[in-house]
Formats: sequence, C-alpha cells, structure tokens
Amino acid sequence: MGDHTETGNSLSGQTALEDERLVRALAEGNPEAEREFALRFLPRVRAMLRARSRNADLTADLVQDVMIESICALRRGKLREPSKLTAFVLAIARNILYSHFNNASRQPESLEFPDELPDLKSVSDYVELEDRRILAMEAIAQLDPFDKAILHLTLVEGLKPGLIAERLGLSPDVVRQRKVRATRRVAEFVASRSQNPLLTHYTTGKKP
Amino acid sequence: MIQCNRAPAIKNAAGYIEGTLTVSQAEQFEDHYWNCPACLAYLQAIEAVGDELARQPVPQIAPVRRKPVFAWPVLVWTLGPVAAAAVITVMSIRMLSPHPAQPLQAHANPANSAQPSASPQPVHSSPAQQAATELADLSLPAFVMPTLRGTSMEAHFKQGMTAYGQGNCRDAVAALAQVPAQDKQERKSQLYSGLCQMHEGELAAAASSLHKVVDAGDSQQLELALYYLAQIQLVRNDPAGAHHFLVRTISLQGDLEQRARLQDRKVLALVDKDREGGTKSQDSK
Repeated sequence: MGDHTETGNSLSGQTALEDERLVRALAEGNPEAEREFALRFLPRVRAMLRARSRNADLTADLVQDVMIESICALRRGKLREPSKLTAFVLAIARNILYSHFNNASRQPESLEFPDELPDLKSVSDYVELEDRRILAMEAIAQLDPFDKAILHLTLVEGLKPGLIAERLGLSPDVVRQRKVRATRRVAEFVASRSQNPLLTHYTTGKKP
Repeated sequence: MIQCNRAPAIKNAAGYIEGTLTVSQAEQFEDHYWNCPACLAYLQAIEAVGDELARQPVPQIAPVRRKPVFAWPVLVWTLGPVAAAAVITVMSIRMLSPHPAQPLQAHANPANSAQPSASPQPVHSSPAQQAATELADLSLPAFVMPTLRGTSMEAHFKQGMTAYGQGNCRDAVAALAQVPAQDKQERKSQLYSGLCQMHEGELAAAASSLHKVVDAGDSQQLELALYYLAQIQLVRNDPAGAHHFLVRTISLQGDLEQRARLQDRKVLALVDKDREGGTKSQDSK
C-alpha cells in the first residue's frame, strides 16, 4: 500500500487527540461518544465484513457483534493506547469474523453485556447508504449490456473471467479488460458523487 | 490520517471483494482503507453496485456468435483485397503507359473517394503518405442490440441502429440525428453517426461527431471514437495525427488495444520513413 502519502504531523496529531478524547469519553460511558464511535466505525466494519463474508445477512449480524464488543471493551478501559483505536476495532472485527468461520463460539469476549446497550442507529448512516444505492443504480444504468452482465456474473454470482467468457462467447482477456474498466467506471462514479459527512468529519476534525 | 489517490483501492478492492487476495494482502488492504476515506469510499461503491445488481433481474445476453461470411460489414473486409488488387492492376497499366504518373489515391474503400473540403488532399503526396491512406481500417464495428429485459431504447436511436445493422448508413445518420440531446443514447448516437459519416466519405463531419464523443470524457464509446479518429487521420494522409489517437486508444487498454498497437507500429514506421525521405531530398537539393 505504498501509493499514498502522509499529510503531515498536524493532521495525524489532530486525529490522535480526537482518538484520545473519544476513548476517554467511551470509558466514562458517555452515550454521545458511543454514537460518535458508531458513526465513525460502522461503515468501516460493514465494508470489511461485507467484502469478507460476501453475505449481507451475516454481515448485518456480525456488524452488531463487532460494534457491541468494541464499545463494551472500551467502556471497560481495555485500550491502553488510545492512538491505536482504529487498529483495536479492526482486530476485534477480524477476531469475530475468523471465529465465525472457524465455527468457534460467536459470542463476544464479554458474555456479560451491560443492560444499556449502545444505540447504533444513525440517520446519517441510513441516508448515506440510500444515497450510495441510488448512485449505484445510476452507474449501472449507464453500463453497456455486456459490461453489466460481466459485473453481475462477477459480483453477484462470483464467477471467474474464464467461465464468464464461455457464457458470453467472449475471450477471457476481453472479459478481464471489460471487468476492470467497468468496475473502475462504476466505482469512480459512485465514490466521487456520494455524500459522506462522516468522512468530512474524520478528515477535517469538524462535526458533520 | 492519510491523503490518497485511491491507487490501493483501484488495485485491490475488486480482488478483495471477489476473494482473490491472499489473507495477508487482504489484511494489508484493510489496514490501509480503515485509515483512508478515499479508498473506503471506493470499496463501498463497488459493494453498493454489487448489492444493487443482485436486486436487479439477471441480464439476458445472447453469446456473441460468428457473423456469416458475407454479412455486412464483413463485406468491406472481404471485398477490400479484391479492390486493392484492382487498384494495383490499374496502377501497373498506368506506369507502363507513356503518360506521366499520377499521385496514388486509395480507392480500396468508398470512404477514401471523398475528401473533406476543410482539409484538401495534397496534390503531391509522399510514398509514406500514400501508404498511410492504405493502412486505414474503415471496417465498421458490429452493433449488438441490447436484449436485456426492461431495456428501453429511444425510437430514433433504434431506427438508426437498425439501418446501421443493415448497412444503410445514410438512413442511419438521418435517424440518429433526431435522437434528443439529453437522451442516454446520445453518446452512442454521436459515435455511430460519426462512423456512418466516415463510411459515406464525409470525413470532416465524421471527425466532428467523433470529437464530441471524445470531448465528453470517459464513456463506453470513447475507445471506438479514438480509434476511428485515428483512421480518419490516416485517410487524410496524416500519420502523425493518427499516431496521436492510436496512443490514446492503446492507453485505455480496452478491446481495441492490440489492433491499435499493431497499426501504430506500422504508422510509426511510415512517419520515420517520411522523415528520412524529407532529409534525403533536402540533402540532394
């Protein structure tokens, strides 16, 4: 992942300060901090679990597990270095995912869930998902029928280019090329137009 | 927090979602996009497209089949060598006749017979320029009518493309010109109008239509537009101009990449030959 650059100490320092504040507030059981935490990490956890599990229902279940376990662990003050908040949540997400696939117990580490479970519902998260869904529809509508079929067979049916080529009567190389170009086109279309207040907040340090 | 040009996501997101990355590559990508809003947005976009495609009906696409030998536009390819042989025979007879030799004009394709008024054909063209005209690939691409359920097509566009499929370029251009400007088929209309105009020998109009497609930015039609702009430059005896458009075609890494690459090699050889010829004639003077 060497194609990016650090923006400088000021921004990373700012993020570290924010993390520290957030971790402290979570340890104090502040409900506002829990909402802020959910707003920031829910999209990341969901994107990861969706990609890794390739199952929307399972993703919805595991996302809840990861968020609750993370917040419970932070309430108990288990994170000693607040600057590692992102890595901490990512590790919990991986543990829960791997545990699920290893048929191990899917119960979060702490079996003693607090009575007051954090409220993970967020209007802005819903709006963001809906906004992205509409943009995805627009992007798909602009696709050539062959490109649409290739993306469908790849992303929905999970077929490899060789099999798709047989089905569509194209060469595997053509399928590969068209897949790469179509994926990039739709992703750029959706990503560049989607409104994500969370990202703005995280980047600038301002509340949405 | 990092500033990123999305390169990690462009490289890894599709493989990550398809499960073709190794565990270590996947975890490395996760470490990155959890701290990178740009790459996270790119990944979420692909996931959203996948989810949306799953909600839509399965596209029904008929597999591409080989066209019959004499089906249009294969006819152009089939008759091309015959026409070329005829031209060579006529040229041989002329060279043996006592009249002074006339500059070579390519008649292998009807598109070559008409020259644009805006850029008249030079009276004395170099051998390299003559060869450039002969290099032009004026075969028209086939058009596949969408067979997806629920696909609607603008009436004029449908009419135009039906005419195009039958090899009736004049009617195709007339119908495609009536496609509304804001229609989703607008870009395709411009492309196929340009190709038909090229086939009819209206090179200036063809170039104008194809430039509109190019100027509109990235689209499904961009590659074809660039490739055929290169062919128009070849017909106009402008190998350097053709090279410019071929390089742009190749850079898209699409279906025409190999074809453009092969042609560009020949075009570059012509450009070099032309330069050498120019240097020698200057020396002799």
